[in-house]
Amino acid sequence: MTAFIIRRLMQSVGVALAMSLIVFIGMHIVGDPIYILVDPQSDQAEIDATIRRLGLDRPLWEQYLLFLKGAVTGNLGNSFVHGTSALPLILERMPATLELAFASLILAIVIGIPLGLYAGLYPETVASRAIMAGSILGFSLPTFWVGIMMIMVFAVMLGWLPSTGRGPTATYLGMTSSLFTVEGWRYVLLPALNLALLKVSLVIRLTKSGTSEAIHQDYIKFARAKGLSRSRIVGVHLLKNILIPVVTVLGLEFGNQIAFAVVTETIFAWPGMGRLLISSIQSLDRPVIVAYLIITVLMFIVINLVVDILYSLLDPRVRLGEKSA
Amino acid sequence: MSVAEPTDPLGRVEPKARAAAETPFQRFVSDYFDNWIAAAALILLGALIALALAAPWLVPQNPYDLAQIDILDSRLPPGTPSSTGAFTHWLGTDGAGRDLVSAIFYGLRISLFVGVSSGIIAMALGAAVGLAATYAGGRIETLVMRIVDLQLSFPAILVALMLIAVLGKGVDKIVIALVTVQWAYYARTVRGSALVEGRKDYVAAARCLGLSNARIVFRHILPNCLPPLIVVATVQTAHAISLEATLSFLGVGLPQTEPSLGVLISNGFEYMLSGKYWISFFPGIALLLTIVSINLVGDHLRDVLNPRLSR
Repeated sequence: MTAFIIRRLMQSVGVALAMSLIVFIGMHIVGDPIYILVDPQSDQAEIDATIRRLGLDRPLWEQYLLFLKGAVTGNLGNSFVHGTSALPLILERMPATLELAFASLILAIVIGIPLGLYAGLYPETVASRAIMAGSILGFSLPTFWVGIMMIMVFAVMLGWLPSTGRGPTATYLGMTSSLFTVEGWRYVLLPALNLALLKVSLVIRLTKSGTSEAIHQDYIKFARAKGLSRSRIVGVHLLKNILIPVVTVLGLEFGNQIAFAVVTETIFAWPGMGRLLISSIQSLDRPVIVAYLIITVLMFIVINLVVDILYSLLDPRVRLGEKSA
Repeated sequence: MSVAEPTDPLGRVEPKARAAAETPFQRFVSDYFDNWIAAAALILLGALIALALAAPWLVPQNPYDLAQIDILDSRLPPGTPSSTGAFTHWLGTDGAGRDLVSAIFYGLRISLFVGVSSGIIAMALGAAVGLAATYAGGRIETLVMRIVDLQLSFPAILVALMLIAVLGKGVDKIVIALVTVQWAYYARTVRGSALVEGRKDYVAAARCLGLSNARIVFRHILPNCLPPLIVVATVQTAHAISLEATLSFLGVGLPQTEPSLGVLISNGFEYMLSGKYWISFFPGIALLLTIVSINLVGDHLRDVLNPRLSR
């Protein structure tokens, strides 16, 4: 187990390095960010001073080595646009994104598992067919368009929920989040639902196929023969077994949630790191883009590792590290 | 039943003669049209493609010819007659006074063009790399498949955003980004089926005949890898169209001069809060119909092309 974790971590460092190099070099092909950053009326002396200040006059490899040296010490360079260090810029927006991803994960579980269970237990009913047809639609609908329509219906036409922004936050157990206030939930509900849409469809399909397979297994028949109540069979014996694939997929999808939050944050003006990424791409703010990428890659690596370990704890048949991962 | 049906010596009705004469393609077509939802989806998709191709001859105005649009016509609700009185804006107009029906048909052209061309290039590239890697075997195969695994472990939208950050805007840039995101799916699919096909007897027979390796790979193995490749291609094309629309909506995809459906939806978004829903709503419906119909066709193709499921 320890060897497995160490090997995975070393692979991960290699991946992070390779990605940073690719993006760093790629950024230099796009053209000089200097003309976006200086006042159009500034003279050559001012431009030269800015180039020196930002370190853009040194050779590419030297800029990259400087960047790596900084990265190890937690300094990923200064944002060209904001003028402050790129790393804190992203980190201060991270809680909002994590909060959104977490809320949508909860919604995916709360909505997806009961619907999937129902569709698996009573596959022939009209409601089940509607649930399954709806889940196909959930895969096909473009997330951003659904978000727009949600704003139109719930915020503009009905006026039930606020359309944009993040609600008031409260601090509880050292964490500051808008999930701790009722008003905060009103703000997070629409974006979280929008982000959860794809996951809900996924959870429904996984739970449904797991359920319809599991109800024919011997242990369910045995539990029924033993005279256990239906709710206990479904709630304890069945659910425990179908949760394994659901937990794995949801864990792996958490990284996707953070990536797709880029879209949801843009629609709902949610002050997270995804919106920062989009505006940085538009203004060619190289340090912020590279820092975002490195942080996201690191997050992906950690999430994948945690899911692998969690998986082996949930399912004792899986032994990590036996074959080369 | 006045006409006596042909019977065999035991008096049983002979199976329809047509069945024996069916070519594989006819069987495929009749299998496909057995499912009415899939048939409807295919017809809808065909209609959408026809509308997109014929857009310049069908729509009342060229939405990008400035002489034909009038800024005074902007943001008209659906069903309003145009200021010249020549035609009616059945779906309303957008912020610049363009007729939405015309804009949607033109947008469909661009969306389909980007999706289909990136799908075809990615399929050719991915299939070539996948086949070459499988054929080379050993270290090269391991390396290529590691790259494929690595790329597929990151969400497509993130990879695409990074590429756009590097490449910039434009149709060609978007196609490059979509190809880069998608080739790995094709490479993995083609390798999976090439590994299976390569062990079959007909390949051994071709080898015994002394055929060249290139001929075996391209004329014998590749055609047998096509069915799963076609299924992946349909689903990936729908995905590409959706991804392009998303990127364009975020303002990092196609420029305003190439208004795909995603750009149209994005333009309408700013009028959404004042209740002018139609500018975003109708292009979205067109996008939705396109994606859903392609997905349904792909889903059913998977069933029809899978020999294990055929009766």
